[in-house]
Amino acid sequence: MGMTASLKYYWNVKVTGQPFLYWQRRQAERYPRIPSRWRMDILSPPLRIGARTKELISRHYLEGRYASGHRPVAWVTSGGPVEILQALGFYVLYPENHGALCGVRGAVVELSGMAENAGYSTDICSYARTDIGSVLSGKTPVGHLPKPDLLLACTNICQTVLYWYRVLARHFEVPLILIDTPFVYTKVSDHALGYVKKQLENSISISEQVAGCRLDYRHLKQIIRLSKDATELWQEIISRGRHQPAPISVFDQFIHMAPIVEMRGKKETVYFYAELLRELDENIAKGKGAVRNERKRLLWDNLPIWYRLRYLAEYLGEHGICVVSSTYTNAWGELASLMNSEKPLESIARTYISPILNQGTKYKLDTMKRMVKEFQLDGVILHSDRSCKPYSIGQIDQRNKLIQEFGIPALLLEADHDDPRAYADEQVASRLASFVEMLDD
Amino acid sequence: MAITTIPHRRDVIKDIKNRGGLVAAVLPIHYSRALLRAFDIFPIELWGPPKVDVSLGGAHLQSYVCSIVHNALSFLKMGELNVASLILIPHTCDSLQGLTSVLMDMIKPEQTIFPLYLPRGQREEDVVFLVDELQALYAHFSDFTGKYPTNEELLTAIKREELSDLLLLKLHKNRQQMGLSNIDFYRLVRSREYLSAEHFAALAENALQVTGETAGGIPVILSGILPEPMKMLDVISKMKGQVVADDLACCGRRLYQPGTSREPFRRMAERIIYAPPDPTRGNSIAERAEYLIEMARNSGAKGIIFYEVKFCEPELFDLPNLRNCLKEQGLASINIEVDINNLLPHQIATRIGAFLEMLDS
Ligand code: SF4
Ligand code: SF4
Repeated sequence: MGMTASLKYYWNVKVTGQPFLYWQRRQAERYPRIPSRWRMDILSPPLRIGARTKELISRHYLEGRYASGHRPVAWVTSGGPVEILQALGFYVLYPENHGALCGVRGAVVELSGMAENAGYSTDICSYARTDIGSVLSGKTPVGHLPKPDLLLACTNICQTVLYWYRVLARHFEVPLILIDTPFVYTKVSDHALGYVKKQLENSISISEQVAGCRLDYRHLKQIIRLSKDATELWQEIISRGRHQPAPISVFDQFIHMAPIVEMRGKKETVYFYAELLRELDENIAKGKGAVRNERKRLLWDNLPIWYRLRYLAEYLGEHGICVVSSTYTNAWGELASLMNSEKPLESIARTYISPILNQGTKYKLDTMKRMVKEFQLDGVILHSDRSCKPYSIGQIDQRNKLIQEFGIPALLLEADHDDPRAYADEQVASRLASFVEMLDD
Repeated sequence: MAITTIPHRRDVIKDIKNRGGLVAAVLPIHYSRALLRAFDIFPIELWGPPKVDVSLGGAHLQSYVCSIVHNALSFLKMGELNVASLILIPHTCDSLQGLTSVLMDMIKPEQTIFPLYLPRGQREEDVVFLVDELQALYAHFSDFTGKYPTNEELLTAIKREELSDLLLLKLHKNRQQMGLSNIDFYRLVRSREYLSAEHFAALAENALQVTGETAGGIPVILSGILPEPMKMLDVISKMKGQVVADDLACCGRRLYQPGTSREPFRRMAERIIYAPPDPTRGNSIAERAEYLIEMARNSGAKGIIFYEVKFCEPELFDLPNLRNCLKEQGLASINIEVDINNLLPHQIATRIGAFLEMLDS
């Protein structure tokens, strides 16, 4: 790695950038400001932790900006086993999280359009389109993304990521590690586990080569422990949604989940979630709910609709409805028990073959049923996500079964997680209106 | 050769049933026919037959799922798969994965569902995994049929399929000398989807003996999943085009080479993993581009028609890069997306015509 790049990194990240972000956060904590358009009549003020979330994410992208040449850089799919890369000192970037950020900031139409102009179909995943558009044009709302030295695609969320990463591998001409995780229709077979473990073992030498150093297993174990701690804390956090009124809605969870996706295996992630948990417990003690007048409680299935988070939170909040749990945010917590630092590779293999998206539709249905009971829910919104087939196929039957078994309303809401062009404002508004009526019946 | 000698799928099924054989409905794309046949199970492939009541599939699947998957499910719900004792679904893509899961967990049809996970790489660990996966399938079939074919029996079944596949390869190579129209050629080679290896081999040997006038026309390659509606092939002929080679999932991507291993499961696995490049098995864009360029060189094709099923992600991702690579080699290409339920729209015929005209000039 280059001396100039390292000097630049230390100066811009350590000496100036991070202290500035720290100062900015402290200011925000000392003098909390509520965004001017915040609907204080229906929603409680934003969580205090928001300032820290902002600091963490900004730090992450700031580091990314100066990482090239100083640290090896890997681009990884969101469900990828990152612990090995973390232990080798990689700066890890998740294009899906970047895609989500582009969604929140309203940059998807422009970026995706660039990919479409280059021939990519509007029928492929909008995260992929956004990322490819950003790569081809060099544009991003975060200023700059570091070029990868290594790519890692894990099929435990979808096969789409493999096709997507093949495009990236061709563009950047860097090695692509594939961790193929056989789909779990009924139970995890031994040969599937062995297959994943073998691929992990083989990935180590490629990663070592790119990183220019050897993997220290003690360090790997430490990182797995930190990953596990953060995941357990996240699990605790989302379980607080059981409380009535819920101190955190899933819209808040969507925002604060970035560190568990992007920064697993880091100490600051563990501190961050411990702090968030403390704040939620304080709010529970004060009887403060995310929605001021919580009357009804819902489940959200599938990815968020990033560009309409605020609208949905406010619309539902207006009717005293709090979305208190979601299969999506739960996915980042439910695997904590499988992580075991004493058996690093075995446990990574088992953990990363088991996400909800790598399991059958019954598993998701059972998860939803459990949530309906444990969180005492009054209804379910299933976001039928046009560009995420693995998460969406099965929802029609899942909805029917939830209605049959619990007699609660369940709405299938057609949209797309990132592309607002697949979202019909009026249609969604009228479907939500009838759904809200049904909740009150 | 009279194309009327190709038996109809229904008659083949009836014949199997009359002889007391078991029928397996098999979804796209890659699987081991030999493994099924070693258990006396006859694979009949189901590539989302057109002309079905799609609302039946629509009761379980969103509209943004491809028509192959929609149609397969609709066909099943129409009761058309009642002749099958089991359904084998290779893990081809996210949509077929979803369908498998919906069938197993939600719809629960009468037939037993057997998924087969195909690894996404061509590394040694992928071969080992597929060997294990095929062995697991063997165990399931044993439970299902009460049979335990020996290694020798497995090897016999494998060799039977290999012979048939070699003849299939020869048909592909000799296609221009056989004097068959585009549609007749594809009727013939696609009968491999439901005929037994022996039956297909006999048909192929017959066909190979017949030589006709070399089919002329503007030489093109067809790439994509499958040529449906088949009328599209007539359109190409009418517009003076001739399909001289293909990279179709149902045809050219399944020209499996004979294996070498004496260990039957390894031999079955290697045949699948080292088949021509296929995005659903994880081949890189470079491998696919190289393969297509070579194919064009050998067949004399002037251009490539990418004939894609709408919403098919495995195909759509590679297209821009593939088309650029082809362009660099002076090969023109066109991308056409279809829903196999739609009659061939006039617009598509016009686009194919314009493309062929452009190649001709
Ligand atoms: S298809 Fe779904 S799971 Fe896959 S990358 Fe896109 S949003 Fe994520
Ligand atoms: S057409 Fe494409 S998406 Fe549909 S089943 Fe075939 S490979 Fe899957």
